Amino acid sequence: MNTEEFDVIIIGGGITGAGTQRDCAMRGLRTLLIERSDIATGATGRNHGLLHSGARYAVNDPESAAECIRENKILRQIAAQCIEPTDGLFITLPEDDLGYQKTFVEACRRAGIGAEIIDPGLARQLEPSVNPDLTGAVRVPDGSVDPFRLCTANMLDAKLHGGQVRLQTEVTGFIREGDTIRGVHTRNVRTGREEDFYAPVTVNACGIWGQRIARLAGVEIGMFPSKGALLIFAHRINNMVINRCRKPANADILVPGDTVCVIGTTSTRIPFEECDRVAVTPDEVDLLISEGAKLSPALSSTRILRAYAGVRPLVSADDDPSGRNISRGIVCLDHDGRDGLKGFITITGGKLMTYRLMAEMATDAVCRKLGVDKRCATATTPLPALVEETAGKGALICECENVTAGKVDQAIDRLEVSTLTDLRRRTRVGMGTCQGGLCACRAADHLAQANGCVERERADLADFMQERWKGNFPIGWGDMLREAEYTQWVYKHVLGL
Amino acid sequence: MRFDTVIIGGGLAGLTTGISLREAGCSTAIVSTGQNALHFFSGCFESLQEPPQRMLDLFAGAGVPLHFEEGVRLMPLGTFRPAALALEDIDLLPEPRFADKVLVVGIAGFQDFFPGFLCDGLEKAGMKCRSVQLELPELEKLRVSPSEMRSVQVARTLDRIWGKVLRETKRLLMDEDAVVLPQVFGLQDASVPDFIRRGLPVRVVFAGTLPPSVPGIRTQMLLKRRYEELGGTFLAGDEVVSAQVFGDEVLSVATRNLGSHCLEAGSFLLASGAYFSKGLKASPLDITEPVFGLDVEHAADRGAWYDPDFNADQPYLRFGVRTDASLRALRAGRPLANLYAAGSVLGATRPEFGTGAGLAVRSAFAAVDEILRRCAPQDDK
Repeated sequence: MNTEEFDVIIIGGGITGAGTQRDCAMRGLRTLLIERSDIATGATGRNHGLLHSGARYAVNDPESAAECIRENKILRQIAAQCIEPTDGLFITLPEDDLGYQKTFVEACRRAGIGAEIIDPGLARQLEPSVNPDLTGAVRVPDGSVDPFRLCTANMLDAKLHGGQVRLQTEVTGFIREGDTIRGVHTRNVRTGREEDFYAPVTVNACGIWGQRIARLAGVEIGMFPSKGALLIFAHRINNMVINRCRKPANADILVPGDTVCVIGTTSTRIPFEECDRVAVTPDEVDLLISEGAKLSPALSSTRILRAYAGVRPLVSADDDPSGRNISRGIVCLDHDGRDGLKGFITITGGKLMTYRLMAEMATDAVCRKLGVDKRCATATTPLPALVEETAGKGALICECENVTAGKVDQAIDRLEVSTLTDLRRRTRVGMGTCQGGLCACRAADHLAQANGCVERERADLADFMQERWKGNFPIGWGDMLREAEYTQWVYKHVLGL
Repeated sequence: MRFDTVIIGGGLAGLTTGISLREAGCSTAIVSTGQNALHFFSGCFESLQEPPQRMLDLFAGAGVPLHFEEGVRLMPLGTFRPAALALEDIDLLPEPRFADKVLVVGIAGFQDFFPGFLCDGLEKAGMKCRSVQLELPELEKLRVSPSEMRSVQVARTLDRIWGKVLRETKRLLMDEDAVVLPQVFGLQDASVPDFIRRGLPVRVVFAGTLPPSVPGIRTQMLLKRRYEELGGTFLAGDEVVSAQVFGDEVLSVATRNLGSHCLEAGSFLLASGAYFSKGLKASPLDITEPVFGLDVEHAADRGAWYDPDFNADQPYLRFGVRTDASLRALRAGRPLANLYAAGSVLGATRPEFGTGAGLAVRSAFAAVDEILRRCAPQDDK
């Protein structure tokens, strides 16, 4: 029935999958993206939101550094609505070796990254929140990027180019003819409905879960799940990204974004079984706060909003147990040459920063297989902006993040929203200081009306509050615990959830 | 300034104590930061099975009528919960099915009331349901600023035009035998909900909104008015910042606004609430009581403060100030002779007093008895 409906099937609704679908669709291919839960649920939505200049990798991984700065410049042009060009500082503290600064700046220059040594006094002036004890500072073109918005914009543009998307749809197996992948078996995780889709090429863009998908297709990729924990603060205390000028270590990047800032990260190897339920431990929280306060002392007295963790999709190359020395480089595997399996490509490794390049590499590989000769245009074609339609619907659903009823309804209408968590990723509902305490039930009311099912929405609201709590209790003290007590009271005793 | 008793906290426990001690002739001062749990009150005294007569008398004296009837109440998300003692606005229903056909009346633009959830719940309980939205041009100017369309702002306007809501609702009624309205009536005047009930030809049930709670704020205002009419001193918008303790006696407390003019008293009551009200303070390492440095019963390991399940009873909500049999607060394991604790600052350390509003009222009365036993009131004239 669905035979040859598509030219390419992309599995994975993170930034890599969304970017690959956009690129394929822009080159005239008929595309289908399949995602087992929602867009940006994996590492895409669980990182710093840092627009790397590449400086962090300049000394140890010049290749990644060069990729980063090239993509940095491109994203500023094509995704301006998702980016804040804040610039960044690499600071040297009294306990750090100031000699490293020279090595660092030289490596940056070799990679093509504009790195300028500035006087610590000037650094304090540019970034008043920086640790005043700094002994050295280098200014680099870092920035911040909103990964949810970036992912949504890619998905929207793919749609505008005829792309189709199936969210909440799990790939349960591959349709195989001899040594060729012809399509996928899928199952809707909500309705249980099973459906087959056919295409001459399938792209595996599942991040760390790509290993599982590859195995389902009968090929092995040795992947390396590396957990990174982060804390998000309720205030934006810095205007520039602040990094430590030393070899990359734990909790040495503080990124501002919208009205908040994020400190991270850690790097811990975890077993594959834990990828679906990563949790932040009290030790990680304590480490992030104490190390973060070295970058900016105000962190130690700033309210924390959430703790969260993502899993880096690193492809294992050596036996380094920490995962830090493995290249963040892009891995694009054509399984025909590698494993003798036709019609199957894996795109993995890489970073949020290099998603466009990854998409280009994957799409080039797809086009080669299909015999399509069309050049990539994503480096020069701006992503569409989503204009908010609030006419007559200016009532606020979420005061913390300034989300109007109009914006909520628009997301429900146009951006494939079936749960409050989906809505949060697209509108920021529930991401502010109240963490859903006030806005979740208002938004639930809108969703219930749109979906016509209050019963399902009641369960969804309960799931949403559970999901918010998961990121709150690891940092449950001070104002966060006050908010949590209030939310417990309201939902259990006042509203009667 | 010297009083027989200084009360820290102007919520339900503090006001109950203040009124009772004034009625017994003691001189009292209440120090209140302003907001307290009454602003989020569901209207129902959850853990009170049987209301003590002195409680009914106290509330009646303040113009806050209560009613007692074992049954269920309708929650804002359309569920039903067991209830027995409540403010008069909160309907205590013998069973969930209180009518055959119900008209749920919302207010256009007011996001904090949930007719969709209510209709679903009522239909599940076996009633037919229809929901309508009242367009009230008088609320237009609230809508100009989207954050102004909250329960209290709506209630302030409706205090002037509730008669119109009554007429409009009557006009919209078809064959329904009950009406559900949001709890946004009678912010200043407790009799308005009853006027609405008597003005409609069918049964009226009020359902809650997102906080702030209009019945809760009204209750707080009426209790405070009663306390002040009895001659009690109420220091609003002030906060106790430190205490002077000599041996095991509290001599005085200092507040932010009064500066060096300390409040001295024969006895003190700590009714400062839990975390939200800052009666308890959690840091990454510890949970403390910030004014006196009292002993707080809690797990030493932060990992044991929480249950990862949002719906489970949260361990941190059980933590509270330690007290002896006569509700005297402990510091370094020993009771302070003239410092009593009541309300949610106790957490669940005194389960015999219940939880929530029930805990506030019962522990307050118990503290009143202890305070009166300790020192016969002096003439404050």
